Amino acid sequence: MNEILIILFTPLLAGVLAWAFDFRGVREVIGLIGAAVPLAYLVKLYPAVIEKPVDYALTVGGFTLQFQLGTMSWYFAAVASLVGLAMAFGLVATSRSGYDWLFALMSFTGVLGVFLSQDFIGFFLLWELMTFASFMMVLKRNRHESLKYFVLSVIGAYAMLLAIGILYARTGALDFETIRQALIIDVSLGTIGKGETILLFTLFLTAFGVKAGAVPLHVWAPGAYSETDQSYTAFFSGALSKAGVYGILLIYMLMGYKLYAELGTFHGHLTFAYVIAWIGAITVVVASFLAVLQEDIRKLFAYSSVGQVGYILLAFGVGSPLGFAGGLFHVLSHAIFKGLFWLVTAAIILQTGRTRFRDMGGLAEKMPFTFAMGLIAVLSLAGIPPMAGFASKWLIYEAAIQAHMPLVAGAIFLGSGLAFAYVVRFLYGVWFGQRPSELEDVKEAPLPLLLAMTILAIPNLVFGVAPGVVTGYINRILMGDVVGGDYYRLVTQTGTYNALLVSTALVIGLAIAGLVYLYGAKARRVPVTDTYQSGNPVTEEFNLSIRRNFYRPLAEALEFWLRYSWDRFYERLAKLSEDFADALRQAFYNGNVQSYSWYLAIVLLILALWGVL
Amino acid sequence: MIDWKLILEVIGILLYATFMGFIFMGIERKAMARIQRRVGPPLYQPIIDTLKLLGKKESISHGFIYDFGPVFALGASIAALLFIPIANFQLFSSNADLIVVAYLLEVPMLGIMLGAMSSGNPFSAVGVQRGLLTMVAMQLPYGLALIALIQHWGTFKLSEIVALQGAQGWSVTVPALLIAMIVFDIVFQAMLGLEPFDIITAPAEISMGPMVEYGGKHAAILFTQHAVQIFAETAFFAVLFLGGASNLLELLIKQIAVLFIAIFVASIYPRFTIDQAAKFFWKWPTILGIIAVLLTV
Amino acid sequence: MSEIGNDGVISYELKEFKLFEPLFKWARKKSLWIVAFCTGCGGIEIPPLATARYDFERFGIMPNPSPRMGDLFLITGYVTPKTLKRIIITYEMMQDPKYILAHGSCPINGGVYWDSYNVVKQLDRYIPVDVAIAGCMPRPEAVMDGIMEMMRRIEDGTADGWKRYRENYEYYRRNQDELFGEGWREKEARRWLAWI
Repeated sequence: MNEILIILFTPLLAGVLAWAFDFRGVREVIGLIGAAVPLAYLVKLYPAVIEKPVDYALTVGGFTLQFQLGTMSWYFAAVASLVGLAMAFGLVATSRSGYDWLFALMSFTGVLGVFLSQDFIGFFLLWELMTFASFMMVLKRNRHESLKYFVLSVIGAYAMLLAIGILYARTGALDFETIRQALIIDVSLGTIGKGETILLFTLFLTAFGVKAGAVPLHVWAPGAYSETDQSYTAFFSGALSKAGVYGILLIYMLMGYKLYAELGTFHGHLTFAYVIAWIGAITVVVASFLAVLQEDIRKLFAYSSVGQVGYILLAFGVGSPLGFAGGLFHVLSHAIFKGLFWLVTAAIILQTGRTRFRDMGGLAEKMPFTFAMGLIAVLSLAGIPPMAGFASKWLIYEAAIQAHMPLVAGAIFLGSGLAFAYVVRFLYGVWFGQRPSELEDVKEAPLPLLLAMTILAIPNLVFGVAPGVVTGYINRILMGDVVGGDYYRLVTQTGTYNALLVSTALVIGLAIAGLVYLYGAKARRVPVTDTYQSGNPVTEEFNLSIRRNFYRPLAEALEFWLRYSWDRFYERLAKLSEDFADALRQAFYNGNVQSYSWYLAIVLLILALWGVL
Repeated sequence: MIDWKLILEVIGILLYATFMGFIFMGIERKAMARIQRRVGPPLYQPIIDTLKLLGKKESISHGFIYDFGPVFALGASIAALLFIPIANFQLFSSNADLIVVAYLLEVPMLGIMLGAMSSGNPFSAVGVQRGLLTMVAMQLPYGLALIALIQHWGTFKLSEIVALQGAQGWSVTVPALLIAMIVFDIVFQAMLGLEPFDIITAPAEISMGPMVEYGGKHAAILFTQHAVQIFAETAFFAVLFLGGASNLLELLIKQIAVLFIAIFVASIYPRFTIDQAAKFFWKWPTILGIIAVLLTV
Repeated sequence: MSEIGNDGVISYELKEFKLFEPLFKWARKKSLWIVAFCTGCGGIEIPPLATARYDFERFGIMPNPSPRMGDLFLITGYVTPKTLKRIIITYEMMQDPKYILAHGSCPINGGVYWDSYNVVKQLDRYIPVDVAIAGCMPRPEAVMDGIMEMMRRIEDGTADGWKRYRENYEYYRRNQDELFGEGWREKEARRWLAWI
């Protein structure tokens, strides 16, 4: 029995079993085992993988599916498995049905399969498995949002299928290695023209952009991320969106040289990479602005997730080894902090049953552990050194500025400011301020959920203080000494970041500040109502928090831009096509036999004129 | 193994920075008073204020984060300071670069915001909102100015930027970086929280904004934090655009020069509203910043 | 004692800093932050103090909108019961040590409103006044003199209104309740609920 097969199909098997034996306790144990096995085997295979890739071929009905666990697949698979394990722990607390387990673990298999596949058959099949499973997860909660997700996914899938078809027609192969070789050779042969190359690129970009949630194909993401079990969203946004990102890397691996040869460079940047970088930059800015203005905790994180994946696209678009290093690091840090965020959200929604900011507040005292985890996620997302989120963002900054993409780098600056703004909105809306009286008896989240959060919080801290662990591995992936330094220190050609020293300095600073604090008079605890209100007395019945439209002034400043929305554009498009189809039906399918015979006659006539008959 | 020289330097610089930071705050008040034809308080007035706040016999708390916020802010400010090359003292600066310092200088904001939010006061909440929106607004021109600088000197390391400026002349003498400096100076005004961007505290409007619930030792910590921060930020400015310094006196002169520009601007301009500030930042400073980065590509 | 915000006011431990006490005393004297709570006609006498002619900032005095950081509470004129409620709440919000400077005749004995049904005649019965300035209205010079007197008192330790308030809290509390009725804080708060 090959390990890769076990890694791939244990989650699916466990999911089916959990669905079949749908008893409380049994399905949870099966599901947890199923989710833990891939991670365990990946850890076990680590020494083998860094020596040489582990291969496996599976023959199903005449097709041979090739799987390979190389350094890069291992990295992506490990990130997905880590988030998957956390998701499983989360599901123990939040899910009450075998249905959730089945499809959550099915998509787990799908994601792993996408990362491990070495040919387009397996890639496409497992990609569709992943899409289908996640679609089913959304369908259970919300039909409209799931259909939106479905339609965009189908567009992406058709785009990919078309691209694969063209590639197959031109190269006669479906496995990555042969296609790569063929396309490199094709640069000198020139059988695939410039137009066709651009078409291939656009099709693949559409396919992977949908999954990664790149603007303007992001519209499914907010709805789908929020209308499902939030523990699952940890995986949905943490790992599934990485499949799209992985696809972008695949474009580089398969067609990079061909694209470079056909499209050339633009002001010293690879033209196609420049397009990706700008898509990433626009995604970062647009999604972050929208995240700031959300009123629903799930929507906020959904948009933020879209924005953070934009960072990864941007980093890959830079096109330099450092850009890849930053992007790959951000794959990990985005998975862990965003997964953590979604689990925190799951805990909040599970314990309070509310999702909108205006119904929440002051929960920090009631759910202290969840709050601490949320704070770690906030610090990591906002890029506060020393956290994993900062290390990866720092690499992206270095890469973008070093590659002389100033405006793209400016987008990162803006995006990080916006990230700061929306995480603070989350902190304020949920944890601080006055607590609505209905939330007085909220309890701490259940143990499995806390465990799940801990699983994701620890890497945030560890890889924050020791980012060199990750970059060391990324150097292996990129086969070169891209980011130098040791465990605690990152060194690039132009910059350096010592995470340990930053932590030390922060600890020194906190110690000094703490001493000053301890010196002062003992603080006496006062209730939230003992607060300055221009001398007016207040009671709990007063509303002391800004519950709605927290960032109203920003909305006012952006008034002009907010008038346009991709979401509304697509809805209108859908409406338009619906109307068109309606009109068509009324005009032609009118139920009159005579007119049907006329259509037949006209068609026959046309065919006759064309010379077919 | 323990580097005693470094430890002594750190302690010395921290004391010096805190003291000078307080004096800078004093200069701010004194200069403002002189512009308004008043006598003004003594230069060491902020030290007295901080002592008084520390000597308060009572203090209140709205919960753990309320206490943690100011401590975190001061800690982060101190950490940021340690990574800036202060004159001939390198401290930790050889180990961090511009992006790290720029981020560390923003962390204290999060600390203050955390504390302010947990107090549950509506004025604080408005202050937090304004603070973050100012940050969002200034982030783009700020980033562009830094990018222009990095692109010109080709390095992220602060110590190298200083060395290069020593060899090839100050950043300001380069036309593109002069534009970047103008942008940075506008942002700097907001970083120091001075008019026309004193939207965050807005004393007569939302009663000190984030600080409304703070008193006693918490406020003393916040004052100290502001002192360290003001020192760190002026030093950052001097290092980036004015060629750094070879000794503390030279640095002091440059810092005060920077400070005086800020004070003069502050004393003649009224306050923006927050959406005006955002629109302003996204208009002229951004355009200038884009020109600067395109000139240095 | 179950009303809002009162429980803690007197029931905290006092921490004395013996070693640095002289330093702090000096600092307290040199840095008086005003909680600008302008009642009555005296409020308008404060801005001249801040302007170039008198410039109280040279003594380290600064208007501060938040009571938590404030030290000096200026009662600038007559006090009606409605105002007094706010004064008490704001005063209790300030942190020890805190000082009250009463402006003009009205807080002392009602002044021209001596027979008014709606003016508090003797402020000292409700909150402890450290220094009172006579006059109707006192000119800025008189206010400056009052502040100087306050500084002298802080130095020799006789400005101990905050201590008196804590020690005699029962007395002040009884007087306040006599005027407003029991549970006035909650009642007052509830009154405004309808308006917001």
